[in-house]
Amino acid sequence: MDLIAGRTWSIERRPIRHLDPVLIFVTLALSVIGLFLIYSATHASLAAQHLDLSLYVKKQVTALTLGTILLLLVMTFDYRFAKVYAGIIYGALVLLLILVRTPFGTTSAGAQRWFQLAGFQFTPSEYMKLGLIIMLAAYLSEVKSQDLSLEQVLRATLLAAIPMVLVFIQPDVGTTIVLAAILVGILVVAGARPKQLAVLALSALILLFGAFQLGVVKDYQLQRLTGFLDSNNDPQGANYNKQQSEIGIGSGGITGTGYLHGTQTNLDFIPEQHTDFIFTVVGEEFGFVGAVVMLLLFAILIWRAFRIATLSKDPFGTYVAAGIGSMFAIQMFVNVGMTIGIMPITGIPLPFVSYGGSSLLANFLAVGLLLNIHMRRFK
Amino acid sequence: MTEGRTVARVRFLALFVVVMFVALSARLWFLQVLASDQFRSQASRNSVRVVQTVAPRGKIVDDHNNVLVGNRPSLTVLVNRQRLGSQSSVVLPRLSSLLKIPEWQLRQSLNTDQYYSYTPVPVAFDVSKPQWLYIESNQSLFPGVSVESLPVRTYPNGRTAAHVLGYTGQISSQQLKDPAYAGYEPGDIVGKAGVEQVYEKYLQGTKGVRKYLVDASGQNLGPIGTEQEPVQGETLHLTLDLKAQQIAEESLKLGMQNARNFVDSSQGGLLKANAGAVLVMDPNTGAIVAMASSPSYDPRLFTGGITQQQLDKLTSPGSNQPLIDRAIQGLYPPGSTYKPFVAAAALQTGIATENGQYECPATYTAPSDTTGQQTVFHNWTTQNLGLMSLSEALIQSCDTVFYKFGWDFYQKSPAEPLQRDLGAFGFGKPTLVDLPNEQPGVVPTPEWLHKMHRQNPTAFPRNTWYPGDDIQMGIGQGDTLVTPLQIATAYSAIANGGKVCQPHVASELTGPGLSKKGKPIDPPCRGRLPFTAGQLSYIRSALTQVPVRGTAAPAFQQFPFSQVWVAGKTGTAEKIGQQNYSWFAAMTGKTQNHADYVIVSLVEQGGHGATTSAPIVRRVIEGLYGLNLSAANPSAPND
Repeated sequence: MDLIAGRTWSIERRPIRHLDPVLIFVTLALSVIGLFLIYSATHASLAAQHLDLSLYVKKQVTALTLGTILLLLVMTFDYRFAKVYAGIIYGALVLLLILVRTPFGTTSAGAQRWFQLAGFQFTPSEYMKLGLIIMLAAYLSEVKSQDLSLEQVLRATLLAAIPMVLVFIQPDVGTTIVLAAILVGILVVAGARPKQLAVLALSALILLFGAFQLGVVKDYQLQRLTGFLDSNNDPQGANYNKQQSEIGIGSGGITGTGYLHGTQTNLDFIPEQHTDFIFTVVGEEFGFVGAVVMLLLFAILIWRAFRIATLSKDPFGTYVAAGIGSMFAIQMFVNVGMTIGIMPITGIPLPFVSYGGSSLLANFLAVGLLLNIHMRRFK
Repeated sequence: MTEGRTVARVRFLALFVVVMFVALSARLWFLQVLASDQFRSQASRNSVRVVQTVAPRGKIVDDHNNVLVGNRPSLTVLVNRQRLGSQSSVVLPRLSSLLKIPEWQLRQSLNTDQYYSYTPVPVAFDVSKPQWLYIESNQSLFPGVSVESLPVRTYPNGRTAAHVLGYTGQISSQQLKDPAYAGYEPGDIVGKAGVEQVYEKYLQGTKGVRKYLVDASGQNLGPIGTEQEPVQGETLHLTLDLKAQQIAEESLKLGMQNARNFVDSSQGGLLKANAGAVLVMDPNTGAIVAMASSPSYDPRLFTGGITQQQLDKLTSPGSNQPLIDRAIQGLYPPGSTYKPFVAAAALQTGIATENGQYECPATYTAPSDTTGQQTVFHNWTTQNLGLMSLSEALIQSCDTVFYKFGWDFYQKSPAEPLQRDLGAFGFGKPTLVDLPNEQPGVVPTPEWLHKMHRQNPTAFPRNTWYPGDDIQMGIGQGDTLVTPLQIATAYSAIANGGKVCQPHVASELTGPGLSKKGKPIDPPCRGRLPFTAGQLSYIRSALTQVPVRGTAAPAFQQFPFSQVWVAGKTGTAEKIGQQNYSWFAAMTGKTQNHADYVIVSLVEQGGHGATTSAPIVRRVIEGLYGLNLSAANPSAPND
């Protein structure tokens, strides 16, 4: 009897039986919806250039396939290996962030962000987010006390500050914000006190002010950030993106203009629409209903991440899951917020939906880690 | 399970996220539900006017980067039919007297379905600056009329290589329906012949696009999006060599001119020599160094649209079809230029041997032909030349030796080893050269004859394959048809030791759309002749004697054979109702057996091979090696 019960228990507890189907569904739903939106955003301008109408969709499907393989690979080993190698992963990514500034990296639109490798783009900052999550989780999970001391909070901050500075000078303000949000999210869950967080916020403000004064921030970034505050600019000015994006989403109304029928979308009014402004396609073509459905999908995604944080058998898993949840939340918020005019334009992709291989792969790796923690939640 | 405090902290974090969602939803509610009407009217006022600028086509250059086809700006008068509207009866006469173009011609240009009604139609190219200024400064007199500087093709070397280069013209309505031209718009200029047509998609370039935001009243609110500058098409590098091409064209022209003062040795009367082709090929790669076809045309006629009268003139029977590229589209019986191939096949099948001796009587009759009226096949001379080797039969071009081989091949039916080997040389199928409308030629077989008889019993009354079909094939007559390019490809294979290369005129594409190294065009030499190196060397040795003491000797008197090696074969092809067609095919190099070039000349109604074509080839060789140029004077054949 005992023996039989024991075997049943061990079969019951086999990790593969404990996938999170809701998380898998949401991930795939967002990715597939993304493919349709990318097609809508790009088909008209591709046709004008006499190119394959599904050029971008095909590339994204390739990335999606690769992402799924990576996700499965990440699930096969115990997530606690990530803790063992956290230092190496973090160190290697910081090194790549430095290397991307050298002539090895590729420059585009005034920013130096990726490596060109055998026809593929590799953007280290996309992976740095995950690297930072693992590093912070590994460090803070070794803290044995209930609350964090100021010294521990500062050490964690230093770990985040190094990649933040490297990303900021690329310049990539968006990813800097995401890295900061990851730090705050993990610190909150790890038990930082409000006073400590307030000190952090204050020093961040001072640093940011200093950066503006020293001219580290590029002109166009400044214009975009201030354009967000002053909403009556001419169509050619820095505020043009925001205006056209709002017109697109606003004209969608409650039910939208219908798939492939958005005039703002088809006439190419909105720049970078398949990447950063993909949400405008939902807003214009599927209206308020479509936009809310998409927000709901993200809400479920973030809920599952936080739920896994509470289910994890060890603090490392908890912090990783909380970090990933924070990462998805801030990216979703800043991205959607910028298309509807409540956030500055910073160039953050919408997770799973925006066109872009590195971002998609990094997000699939993150989901792989979440599933891994969920599967192995039993002690 | 994690302890309670952690759960509480995660919930605290989740609260932030909930606030985020509330903020986003609230804003969306405002934008899409409360303020939607305002945005919708803004969106409808948003309208885009797309202005396209024509991209210059890619340049075409020779192997030394000499520009063969370039672009120049041309002041073009365009008429917007929608804006012209009902005022055409006033504006068109005005335009007609200003441009000195008859009004009916302007109406003809405008009466086209080649353009959308709102796209301006070009009606006159290369107008003068004063005319342009007059139209610009009197816009009220010319509503809907504009003048733009558009790139048009220019040919720095005039007619040179017209057939290879081809010409451009407006895309036709059939082409617009063709999936190969997906994305093209009415009025686009596309390649219509030559490499302009074959490499169209590389030469086309990308139109520039500028989008302007236009409000409901049509007022321009300024450009939107990023401007796409027009991108010039890629540069097409040809294997053609301008100097060699000029020598080939000159020599062909000169040789034909001189032949017209020469008496036809077989039929009497002056030679007509009214058309021809010359090819120079690198036998090791299949690269075409020169390709001349006569009569030729001026590609400049096509820039800015050719008029119907000009086109009628080019296609009228009296002009002898100058648009045809005879090097690839002309089909001719090869005559005796075929003999080296037949000899190689005979060696391979054992019908002949390198040491064998063969009778060369004045006539030949098939051994089976014993009853009734016998068919007698004549040699080119009425003398009996007696016993000779295979090599000598090539040097003297003895027909009766090859008639006998034809009979022997007939005996091997239905294996048809001769046709199989001729197929290996590339006859009877397209060479796949990168030029349009190539002819495949004919290698007759019994099956081919049955098929032709079924399809067209009037033109092919016979349904039976006779020994005479093989006997005629032995000397390149009968139903056999080849293009000069096929002959050049086959001689190249003999010259290079047995590789059958795909001939080509383009070598590389370079340009902004391609990487720095460019896109090489280097078709492989896939074919392999089924002969041994010894057999090919035997044929080459025999051909080496042809210009020295054989049928081509009259044309190569005083030629410096010590400096330049020449091996070749004359051909005098018979065509019923016409004078003989003159062929000469040669391989030449600095050292014996190492050919740098294969040169083929064909002159329609040019008489004996030695009369017209051999002197042309000689002059081309002299030009290629910097020897003193001879006059390409006709020479009397040895008979």
